[in-house]
Amino acid sequence: MLKYLFAKEKDIPGGSAALFFGFSCLMWFIVGTGLGSFNAAKLAFPDWFTHSYLLQFGHMRQVHVHTVIFGWIVGAFAASAMYIVPALGNTKLWSEKLGVWNCMLWNIGLMLALSTLWGGLTSGREYSDFIWPIDLYIVIFMVTPLFTNIFMTILHRRTQGIYTTNWFFAGSFFMLIVILLIGNAPEFFHLTGLNEAYMTWWFAHNVLGLLITPVAAAITYYIVPKVTGNPLYSHRVGHLHFWSIVVFYSTPAAHHLMSSPLPEWLKSFASVEGVLILVPAIAYVCNILLTMQGRWSMFVENVELKYTITGVLLAIPLNMQGGFQQTRAINWYVHGTGWIVAHAHLALLGFSTFAEAAAIYYGLQTLLRRKLYSLSLANFHFWMLLIGFSLYWVSMTIAGLIQGAAKIYEVPYLDVVIAEHPYMIVRWLGGTLVFLGNIVWLWNMYMTAKHGNKIEKGVLPHQVAYVR
Amino acid sequence: MSKFLPLFDGLSLSKPLASMTAADKNETAKHIWEHESLGGIAENNNPLPRPVVGLLLLTFLTAMAWTFPLYGQRPSAAMYLDYVTLMNSAPVQKVLSDKSMSSADRDKKAMEMIVGELEQKDSKYSFQRIQHPITMNDLRIMAPKIIELNNQHVDLEEYSIIGRDVSLANFEGNYRADGTRIHKQPWWDKGYTTAVCWFLGFCIAVIIAVKRLPPITWQPDHTIAH
Repeated sequence: MLKYLFAKEKDIPGGSAALFFGFSCLMWFIVGTGLGSFNAAKLAFPDWFTHSYLLQFGHMRQVHVHTVIFGWIVGAFAASAMYIVPALGNTKLWSEKLGVWNCMLWNIGLMLALSTLWGGLTSGREYSDFIWPIDLYIVIFMVTPLFTNIFMTILHRRTQGIYTTNWFFAGSFFMLIVILLIGNAPEFFHLTGLNEAYMTWWFAHNVLGLLITPVAAAITYYIVPKVTGNPLYSHRVGHLHFWSIVVFYSTPAAHHLMSSPLPEWLKSFASVEGVLILVPAIAYVCNILLTMQGRWSMFVENVELKYTITGVLLAIPLNMQGGFQQTRAINWYVHGTGWIVAHAHLALLGFSTFAEAAAIYYGLQTLLRRKLYSLSLANFHFWMLLIGFSLYWVSMTIAGLIQGAAKIYEVPYLDVVIAEHPYMIVRWLGGTLVFLGNIVWLWNMYMTAKHGNKIEKGVLPHQVAYVR
Repeated sequence: MSKFLPLFDGLSLSKPLASMTAADKNETAKHIWEHESLGGIAENNNPLPRPVVGLLLLTFLTAMAWTFPLYGQRPSAAMYLDYVTLMNSAPVQKVLSDKSMSSADRDKKAMEMIVGELEQKDSKYSFQRIQHPITMNDLRIMAPKIIELNNQHVDLEEYSIIGRDVSLANFEGNYRADGTRIHKQPWWDKGYTTAVCWFLGFCIAVIIAVKRLPPITWQPDHTIAH
């Protein structure tokens, strides 16, 4: 990477920035899931590693969350956008050099951010935990260059039309800047009380609703038609998906605070919009699954589609939960329990991660022009991820229901801790499977870069890799 | 106006159910659609299947019904002012200080007296009181706060019961000189008309956006560019 930082634009091979982002996000994914496994172990085996202040759960949890969000998820989005956006515009990335710098500054920034967080420098607000200098660094040196590169690539495209995927990439990266600036307002302007609470959850909700889920969907809009060779089922349903995300997904932040003294009208409005999150979800899932018509055998045969379609199928329970768990009647029961932790992992480790994994598998092979080193290892990784995630999701959902019942019937706290213990062990087991699977994945991609069979020009990797 | 609002640029309303774009613009769109390869990806022009349209309508109706304040909306302090007054009345205090009964029985009987008394009176809170029954213990906790607020002559409808607190939870509009609010939503409309207007605005904008595409009777031929 270093040799390209000061090279001329023409001397940097196309796809370099995407490749660097691709491998860096893979490494952060291993770090993030490793931290997750460690944290889960501390809940499953409370006497483990109690001697170090730095390794306490209260320090480690936020580090895990932000490693996964900014290191893995948004890093994978950057990698995907940097090869998908140019491909869809029949052009090159606007600036590979900016992309390479962006990747370096991204990794430096993330190390700074996670170190300060780990050291106990925190704003104390969930999801917007970073201190304000780190927030500004993220906006100026991480997200703005990414948005600029992607937006300028779309602006300099050599097509008249803009494919659905690129609407989401451009819109979401722009919105990420807005979310970071407005969502961290309590930190910048010392807002307190309800203002602070609302802005904190406005940030948290919109990082998910206007970045992670739409961009994960954007990736699947690319992978499914590209790999199957089918046209996207409907351009107009894509419109419905995009605009309903804009209108309904940006408004329900108050549904995270249904038990707070926010104005009732705001909570009711947010709750209605919260259920209407099902509008983009239905449009999206319908559009992708109908695009698979006549190609369902590839769901089994092709590793990218296996990941993508699993992610899309996980979007169904994700949105059903998301739509209804915020309504007053259900929120009363599940708020503040492990159910919500399970739901968050369904979004980030389920739907989103499966889509991003597909994009990284597909992208790295295409950019390296090398056939995947081992299909068996890729399948092994898939099952480790799916089984590990499922164990996590199911165990935490059950644990959440137990906590909900205990909360309502005022069961003593220690009795609840004892009742949840088996599920904490299963949670740790699931997270550890994901972590181990990711190490196998990194090895597979490293070997692909080093020893994967070279693919001739004009032939796509999936065409030679998986047709039996 | 169209210069600033591209959605309305070249809007044609001669056959709005088929397409809202003039025929020549549709032909241009069709040409681009068929002759342009977006990174090797093509798109079709299918409508949503009808059962899915039904599902979307059901989603909207569910959204409105599920969150209607029959369920879970916080009660206002105003609903309980009469409870507090009756709790402090001589007959109820007599029951509450009757040592011949257990404390649970005293509370139960006293609350039955209060509820029975209130049922005799016509009140705009009758329906909401059925939705939000209260125990004597909770009433004891909130009573001093409700009395204090009432003595300050504030509008108790602007205060909600939240756990053990009585909190201001109405922030609509400025105050008049006499201390009352310019606007206060009724209990049955806490954001619902806003949600309906928001949804209708969305429907109008998206319908216009998709009707600016060539009509659904036309499907692109992908053999041309791909």
